[in-house]
Amino acid sequence: MSTRKMVHLGRRDFLRTSAAAGAMALAGPARMAMAQGAPLTMHTWSAAVDTVQSHLNAFQEETGIQVNYGNSPWAQYREGMVTKFVGGAPLDMMWVSDSWLPEWVEAGWIAPIDDFDFLMKYNAEAEDFSTDSMTYKGRQYGLTYYTDYMAFFYDEEKVKEAGFDAPPTTWEEVVEQSLVMKEKGISEYPMMLAMAQESWLIEFMSSLVFSHGGHFTDDNGDSVMQNADGGAVQALQWVVDAVNKHGIISPACVETGELSGLKAFASGNHAFAMVAKYRLRMLNDPEQSQIAGRVKQAMMPMGPDGDHSTVGWMRFHGMSSQAAQDPKRAEDTARLIEWFGGKANGEYKFQKLLFLDIGAGFGVKPLFDDPDIQAAYDQYGDVEIIKAQQAIARKKDVITPWFGEWNEANGTAWQQAILGNSDVASALAKSGETWDELKSEY
Amino acid sequence: MANTAIHKATRRSLLDRYGYEERSAVLFLAPVMLVLMSVAVFPILYSFYLSFFRMKLTRPNNQPFIWFENYSDLLTNELFWVSVSRTVVFTLISVSAIAVIALLVALLLNQEFKGRRVLSTIILIPWAIPYVANALMWKWIYDSGYGALNGALYQLDFIDKYMVWLGDQDKTLPLIANAFVWKEVPLAAILLLVSLKAIPADLYQAARVDGATVWQRFIHITLPAMKPGFMLVMIYETMMAIRHFDLFFILTEGGPGDASHVLSWHIYVETFRNLSFGSGAAMSYLLALATFALSYFFIRTLGRRI
Repeated sequence: MSTRKMVHLGRRDFLRTSAAAGAMALAGPARMAMAQGAPLTMHTWSAAVDTVQSHLNAFQEETGIQVNYGNSPWAQYREGMVTKFVGGAPLDMMWVSDSWLPEWVEAGWIAPIDDFDFLMKYNAEAEDFSTDSMTYKGRQYGLTYYTDYMAFFYDEEKVKEAGFDAPPTTWEEVVEQSLVMKEKGISEYPMMLAMAQESWLIEFMSSLVFSHGGHFTDDNGDSVMQNADGGAVQALQWVVDAVNKHGIISPACVETGELSGLKAFASGNHAFAMVAKYRLRMLNDPEQSQIAGRVKQAMMPMGPDGDHSTVGWMRFHGMSSQAAQDPKRAEDTARLIEWFGGKANGEYKFQKLLFLDIGAGFGVKPLFDDPDIQAAYDQYGDVEIIKAQQAIARKKDVITPWFGEWNEANGTAWQQAILGNSDVASALAKSGETWDELKSEY
Repeated sequence: MANTAIHKATRRSLLDRYGYEERSAVLFLAPVMLVLMSVAVFPILYSFYLSFFRMKLTRPNNQPFIWFENYSDLLTNELFWVSVSRTVVFTLISVSAIAVIALLVALLLNQEFKGRRVLSTIILIPWAIPYVANALMWKWIYDSGYGALNGALYQLDFIDKYMVWLGDQDKTLPLIANAFVWKEVPLAAILLLVSLKAIPADLYQAARVDGATVWQRFIHITLPAMKPGFMLVMIYETMMAIRHFDLFFILTEGGPGDASHVLSWHIYVETFRNLSFGSGAAMSYLLALATFALSYFFIRTLGRRI
């Protein structure tokens, strides 16, 4: 018995040790430097790099805390970060997507920040879904980097040309108006929906499900997506009918990614589109869009048993468990998080900079009253609608440690239904089955 | 004392057995061997070792040793078998098309005609294009909204509205195979051309004297003489097709649905998206095994009468 046990442990130890050894060889010098109070390490994906760098320079000047900044492409970010975590590479503050939060917490890679009162005070001014999206098992793990939600846009000119005074408020009206547009030759596929297997897919699906009054999971985290009255069935049925029965969404939607769909909408091919709210700026920019000035936002259409709910998401500044182990380092990292995710010199400077620079959404309500932001919004959007939709955005209900694996299977199931390879009930039953299997494994 | 004497004697005999040159060679080769061991041999053996663990990077505290469970799980995994069947279909379409087209191209380039050199150079262009660039180019060509294929067919009145290409599950694999064939034909044609050039001209002259027709000369002289070339092409292209990843990654990401969910894509998803290194390694070994088996099959069947 004891021999078997020793062998068993030995293998595990070897596995862990050898995996760590390679990484230690790479990370060793940096790890030693960390222990000596060396600069903090901050890693982000490659977005708004110049803005981040200039804001970071200001932090270093203000506090005297030195920070090494690195970034890598979004497409490889999660995998790259996991490798860093496993290898013990030096890391103090990093950008985190709400989709990875449970996975990273359960693995012990990131630490809660709710022990720092000077960070928690910002929750009072944050949107609820923003705070919810950074919270896992009752602990909060960061402050907002950027937040946004799935919005419903329409080409005002096409809606009027079709003879309608107002945009659709229900999914049924989307079909009704689209059919008229098809008939009048205004657009072959009036509704743009991007259903390709990519990271945006879960946001599109969640918006459809939420606005149909549905959920993927219940409060206990059990799957309800397959329930006939759960809203997910209605949502997927709507998409399947829109593609195959009404022909108002292109069958090519299964190969259309968010960016391709956006370009197609900006080219004037469609009348309605579901895309991230921050895209509104680009859509109304004459240099980037052929329908600039005509794109308006409406509340997310609702299903028969639903409301105008949509999905919101969150990218935030998080603290590594490594940093949290050293009180001084943790304090410095928290100050860095505050500088970026909270106020810097009394204002939400970074969120405002990001908004003015690339139109990225912010998760704090007071910025809606900022004159610069209002002036920017006035150029291309209706701040009241934006605010109203954001207020009822909800976090995704599938964010768990097994989200990534389930997401692959769920995306395929939805596509199979759209392609007619399976009926809606079977597709969602399969998705629910995969969810339950994964949940039991974890 | 006695032990020390034996040790010295053994050492001397080793030194006597290997001369100065051999020992120098070992010394000079050692660094390269060390590098090869650490960057090639060790990773291969280590990944095999990993395939016996339920190793998921995102669960660092739960990675049990499970013997062959990763392998046996695959046998009952529906998506794995889907990926196997998609891989087989893709490989069959691609390799047979490459063999036929490359043969025709090689026969053409084997003739003497004006502009042959220019044509040879042009034909080589797809081969010179990197795989990723090739995939991006075909993505533009096949796009259902603004793709060149739709544009050309529409201009020529073959279609009355733009078609969905990659989004149509019945067309997906043949279209990806087409992009793969386009890239691979030049190399295959060159390999076959080398075999053609090696056929002695007097064989054809003798056949003509005996009254053999063009077709008979092709069947009885050209084709048998090209067997070594064909074997090389079949082995190489089959291996390339089975393991091909770039086009699937850039054009369809395994979709729509599971229409292009081939084995290489399945391994990528399992290893780098799900970060399940244990089962990913197990699948990679099965893929390697299948590739070896096919190569062996080609060598046995095509190589027998060379």
